[in-house]
Amino acid sequence: MRITRRLFLQTTAAATAAGLARPAFARTAADRAVEEAKKYAGSTINIVWEAGLQALDPLNFSGPKWTELTGIEVRVVEVQTAEMFTKIMQEFRAGTGAYDSLNVIPAWMPDLANAGALEPLDALVEKYGYRDELQAIAPTYRDNQMMVDGKIYAFPDDGDVFILYYRKDVFEDPANQAAFKDAHGYDLAPPKTWAQFAEIGRFLTDKYAPQMYGAAFFRQPPYTMYMFQERFRNEGGRFFDADSMRATINSDVGVRVFDEMRAENAFMPPGVEQWGFVENLAAFLSGQTAMTISWPPYGRWAAGYGTDESALSWVPKSTVAGKVGYALPPGGHPQLAAGFCLAVASTSRQKEAAYLFNQWLNSEDISMQRVQLPYALRDPFRTSHFDDPVYKSRWPEAPEYLATLEAGSETGLLDLSLLQTDRYEEVLRQSISRLWAGEDPKAILDDAAAQWDQTTDRIGADKQGAVYRAWAAKSGAYPART
Amino acid sequence: MRPAALDAPRIRASDRRFGLLLLAPSVLLLLLVGLFPLVYTLVVSFQQITLFEVDTSFAGLANYRMLLSDERLWESLLHTAILFSIALPLELALGLAMAQLFLERLPGRQIFIALLVLPTVIAPLVAGAVWRLLLDHRYGPVNQIVGWLWGEEAVLLWTVNPLLVYPAILMAEVWQWTPFMFLILLAALTNVDRSLTEAAEIDGAGFWLTFRKVVLPAIWPVMAVALLIRGLDLARIFDVVYALTGGGPGTMTETISIYTYVLGFRQFETSYTGAIAFLVIAILTVLVVGAVKRMGLAR
Repeated sequence: MRITRRLFLQTTAAATAAGLARPAFARTAADRAVEEAKKYAGSTINIVWEAGLQALDPLNFSGPKWTELTGIEVRVVEVQTAEMFTKIMQEFRAGTGAYDSLNVIPAWMPDLANAGALEPLDALVEKYGYRDELQAIAPTYRDNQMMVDGKIYAFPDDGDVFILYYRKDVFEDPANQAAFKDAHGYDLAPPKTWAQFAEIGRFLTDKYAPQMYGAAFFRQPPYTMYMFQERFRNEGGRFFDADSMRATINSDVGVRVFDEMRAENAFMPPGVEQWGFVENLAAFLSGQTAMTISWPPYGRWAAGYGTDESALSWVPKSTVAGKVGYALPPGGHPQLAAGFCLAVASTSRQKEAAYLFNQWLNSEDISMQRVQLPYALRDPFRTSHFDDPVYKSRWPEAPEYLATLEAGSETGLLDLSLLQTDRYEEVLRQSISRLWAGEDPKAILDDAAAQWDQTTDRIGADKQGAVYRAWAAKSGAYPART
Repeated sequence: MRPAALDAPRIRASDRRFGLLLLAPSVLLLLLVGLFPLVYTLVVSFQQITLFEVDTSFAGLANYRMLLSDERLWESLLHTAILFSIALPLELALGLAMAQLFLERLPGRQIFIALLVLPTVIAPLVAGAVWRLLLDHRYGPVNQIVGWLWGEEAVLLWTVNPLLVYPAILMAEVWQWTPFMFLILLAALTNVDRSLTEAAEIDGAGFWLTFRKVVLPAIWPVMAVALLIRGLDLARIFDVVYALTGGGPGTMTETISIYTYVLGFRQFETSYTGAIAFLVIAILTVLVVGAVKRMGLAR
């Protein structure tokens, strides 16, 4: 074909227009994901999501929206949290390609990545221009919950953090303030230490029980396991001797934390040892407890945010809206308990489609909407989420709430993450149930340390030691000591 | 002409071959479905497979040696034995007493029987969850009722307190499976020849003597089968305990099935789980063969 001057000019103009139009159209990571995903229209991706409220996000909001934008169907595979790791590993070993996109808890990532169950994402991040928006994820999550051995395996997608919720009206009551100061010599305010927590809790229980107790927590072992990890490290405890990889949870710090935890039950409502997420929530929302520590949804629901939605009909109507204050738990370093990241299954036959869905979900634009879904349990995890004026206007105390979440993300502590983490966590869960059953704390923790050592030896102390040291080197592993 | 009778054995032999040919696919299928997993599990138990690693090398008897030093394994067998030895007699005694009661033509008998049998149709996991709710300190009616009777609030933490966890499990277990015993024993008692019991009464035998010498021998084959079925179920008990206590506090109520599940599906110790499965098979085989012999069921 002969290239004429007209043809050359026409081609150049068209190419320039296309080049200009593309960035203008696909200007955000979300837009780019949608544009690129359209070539997979008509396909279906299977995504593994925590069963229950969490799954309402892809079922009611993001899934249908993605289908509308790209033509890709989203099939949600709901799995109980306790079974998610098992299902993902079993599917990986079976190699059926049944799962495409995965929700994984960051603490599982060394196991899943080392086994090969997760697809490394660096190349796709570059290919689809997601690097800049990834950098805008809040530093704690971005720096600690995204990579294994220097490779990106998942996008942090849920800013789980434990927050202290307290009754401002009770704390600010002049009579309470005066009486407390007389008794203890300092102001009645959100406790900064566990000793203060115990004194305030006991003081309020003595005054108000049985109508209201000073505090309550979820005490069932799966939840308390996280609280122990938090308190133990805030008090100066270390999980292992990094050189020998012998467990050190049975140190004096561990025993003291166990002793104190059990002693606190005395000023909490009777039977608190059996309480889970819902029992504790119901008690706080109905005004039966003055302090509690929990994940971020407590704060939203206590304010009445979104609780009129049918999905939240089981949440008791809040009688404490407008009366709740937010603070970091005693010690100032809250547990970044659980959380979820978005990953791509290495056995997926539609890795790119799954990746693009994850990029779109996790992007600035879409994640901003998702973290404000009142029912979906996704908590703010991007710097922009904490500063969003719309979110701040959701209820009167929302700015204070978001500021506390942000402060928690900055000082928060990561869940212990090793090879076969669940084996170590299981020992902690059993230890806590033995604590509530009345056994001697020292004996329980000696047993726990012995079981941890046994597991470490079975995995290989050198191998596990390397993983532990990599974890311990992260900024959120242990509180920074000055 | 050959008599027809002389041809008969030849025809029967070909029939037999034809019959065997027809049976072969079913037998092969049964062997494949029933025997292959067992053989495969046996093979796996001599390897060192975990889902975390790709190593499937031969481990010899290492997994079987590990059984001997695994305290948690033997404790879980002990917990299973405790539940077995309390629940089975309780279910038998209560089932028999109820069956004896319902032998009489009571008004509304059919409705009561239908209601009593309801627990057995509930999935055991659901039964466990229901009992967890019933025994919940905050919302459950059991503590409320105990509180009314006691005269003050009862703080009985059924799934936390070591003194209460076994009674809690046994309540749920006996509640769900006594009706099974009841139904089978009611059928057996209904078939006891009335003339024999009447003859015993005429001869002056009391209730216990009649029961021991006449009724029990008559219902024994059925009762033995019921005991065997429930005994095997109890040896594998999982759902109710898992839903109620999860094996806790600590591992205080962990049964062998729960321990096997934890090892296999949470800790991914595939080969060691295979070794445990064969230990359990061996124990149960010895017990069942012994029980069948002792109960006279093999006659």
